[in-house]
Amino acid sequence: MITTPLIRFADVSKVYHLESGDFTALNQISLEIDENEFVAIMGPSGSGKSTMMNQLGILDVPTSGELYISGRNVAGLTALERTHMRRDTIGYIFQKFYLIPLLSAYENVEYPLILKYKKRDESGKATAMLSAVGFDEAMSAHRPTQLSGGQQQRVAIARALVNDPKILLCDEPTGNLDRKTGYQIMDILCSLHREGKTVIIVTHDPKIAEYANRTITLEDGRIAA
Amino acid sequence: MKDIFFDLSVRSVRLNFLRSLLASIGIVIGVVAISSMGMLGTNMQLQVKDQLSSGADTIVITADAVRMGPPGSSSSSSTSSSTGITKTQLNKIKLAAGTTSKIVPIYSTNTEFTLLSTPGRSSVYGIDPDDITKFLTISNGTNIEGINDALVGSTIATTFNLKIGSRIKIGKDTDESRPVVRVVGILAERGMSSDNVNTDNAIIVSSDWYTNQYGGKDVYSQVNVIVRDISTITDVETAIDTKLNTNEKTPAVRISDASSRISSITSSLSSITTFILAIGGISLLVAATSIFNVMMMSVNERIQEIGILLSIGTEKGEVRRMFLYEAVILGILGAGIGGMGSLIIGYSVVSYMIGTTEFFFLPESIVYIPVGMAFGLMVCILSGVYPAWRASNMDPIDALRSE
Repeated sequence: MITTPLIRFADVSKVYHLESGDFTALNQISLEIDENEFVAIMGPSGSGKSTMMNQLGILDVPTSGELYISGRNVAGLTALERTHMRRDTIGYIFQKFYLIPLLSAYENVEYPLILKYKKRDESGKATAMLSAVGFDEAMSAHRPTQLSGGQQQRVAIARALVNDPKILLCDEPTGNLDRKTGYQIMDILCSLHREGKTVIIVTHDPKIAEYANRTITLEDGRIAA
Repeated sequence: MKDIFFDLSVRSVRLNFLRSLLASIGIVIGVVAISSMGMLGTNMQLQVKDQLSSGADTIVITADAVRMGPPGSSSSSSTSSSTGITKTQLNKIKLAAGTTSKIVPIYSTNTEFTLLSTPGRSSVYGIDPDDITKFLTISNGTNIEGINDALVGSTIATTFNLKIGSRIKIGKDTDESRPVVRVVGILAERGMSSDNVNTDNAIIVSSDWYTNQYGGKDVYSQVNVIVRDISTITDVETAIDTKLNTNEKTPAVRISDASSRISSITSSLSSITTFILAIGGISLLVAATSIFNVMMMSVNERIQEIGILLSIGTEKGEVRRMFLYEAVILGILGAGIGGMGSLIIGYSVVSYMIGTTEFFFLPESIVYIPVGMAFGLMVCILSGVYPAWRASNMDPIDALRSE
C-alpha cells in the first residue's frame, strides 16, 4: 500500500525580490515528511529555516514548485482555506511563545476553539489541555505577563494542541528558556510524538535535535544533509 | 454568547483608557454641538411659528410700497395713495371680504414720548376703540373711551412702570405742543405677532386722536381682515386681490397672511439652523481625525498581536471585526456621554437663548439628540474602517517579526 506523505515539497523555491536584487531563500527543495515523524530542521542563520517554517505553516506560498500538506496543494487554496488549514491542521509553538497578551492563559487556549466552532468552549477541552501541561484553574486565570517563560510555553503548547492538529510546528521552542525548563518542554513534545503527532522542530541546538528521528540540515536554501 | 473579539476590543480600550477617553471627547463635543445647535434652531422655529400662528386667521393688507404713479402723471393720485390704504380701497375690501369677516383699519407710526422726565420711544397705533377688542386682549383696565385715553403694551408698561392713570407726553422734547394721553388699560403680552401689529412695546390710541395728532385721515397704514373660517382665507384674499389689484403690473395693495409670513421666516431660520449644524458637523470631522489617530495607534501597537492572531488561524474578517468593535466602543462612549451632555447643555442653551423650553421635549426638537449620537457613532465607525482594514491585511510573517 502506497501512503501519501503528510507533507511533500516538490522542487519548492522561494525568492524574495529585494532592491539589492533577488534573494533565493529556498532553492528547489524536495522533501517528504510522513505522519508521526519527529523531524528537526537545523542550519546556520540565513540558511532558509524560517522560510521553510513559513511554508510549512502556510503563512507563505512557494514562488515555484509545489507544496502539499495533507494531500492538498497549498498554492491552490484560497486565502480563507489557508486560514482554516492553519487553524485546523497545524499547531504552532514559537520561540517567543506569542500568547495573546490581552487574554488569560485559559482564554489563550480556548481561542483556537472559538475560531473553529465560533462559540465559547463548553466541552472542557481547553481546561483539559491546560491540566495536561500542569495548569490548575487559578494559574489558568493569569495573563501571559504574569507567567514565567516555561509556563508561557506550556500554555502555548496547550493552545497549539487544542484543535487536535496533525502537525506541530515548533520554532526554537526552547530558545527563550533555561536548560532545565527546555528539557521539560522537549519531554512534552516527545510524549506528543509518541501519541501520534507529527512534530517538526527548528533549532540551533544539536542536543535538542537529538530528540528527533530525522534531522534535515539546510545551507543556503538547499538541503545539505 | 460573548464574542471573544468584542472582549479583546473592550480590553484594549480599557488598557488605554485615558487615550480612548480623550479621543472620545472629540465625539462628545461633536455630538453636543450638533444636538444643541439643532435643538436651538428647531426651538427657535417652533417658537416663532407658535407666536405667528396666533394671527393665522388674519389677512394683512398694506399699500404696495414700491407702487409709484405713472411717469408724468399728476402727483395727487399716486403719492397720496402710495402711503396707505385709502377710504375707497377700504370700502372695496369690506365688499370683497363679506360680512362674516372683521375689518380693522389701523394707523401706525413711531414716536418719542416722555413719562414724567423719562424719555422713551415706541410704536403708536391708531385703532377705532370698537375694533380693539376684536383682536387685542386688555389684561388690566378698560378700553379707550375718552379722546385722550390710551392702551399700552405689556413690555412698555413693565419697562416704564406704567399704571392705570399714568400720563404720557407724546412727541419729542423739542415739539411745541405735546399732547398728553392717559393710560386706561394694559394689553396682554402678544409676542411677535403675525398680523403686523406688535403691541408689546406700543401705545394704542383711538383713530380720532391719531388723525388729530398726525393727520392723514382715512389713509390707513394697514387694514387687517380677520376671517371667521380660516379655511376660507385664500378665497377672501383672492376676492380682495381681484377687487383692488386691477392692474396686474402695478398692484395697488400687498396682501399677505400668516402662512406666507411663517414660511418666509421659518425658511430663513432653517437656513440658519443648517448653517449652525454644519459648524457642529465640522467639530465631528475634527473628532474623526482623533479617532482615526487613536485607532491607527492601536493597530500599530498591536502589530505583533495581529500577527499572532492571523498566524494561528484567525480570519481577516475577524481581525477587522475586532478593530471595528473598538471604534464602535469609542463611538458608544463618545455618543453616550455626548447624548447626556446634549440633554443638559441643549436644555440650558435653549432656555437661555430662547427664554422658554416649552418646545424642547417635542419630537422635532429632541430628535436631534439621537440624530447627533448616530452621527457621532457613524463618524467613529467610518474612522475605524481603514485601520481595521489595514490590520486585517497585514502579512502575518512581517507582523510577527515586528517588535
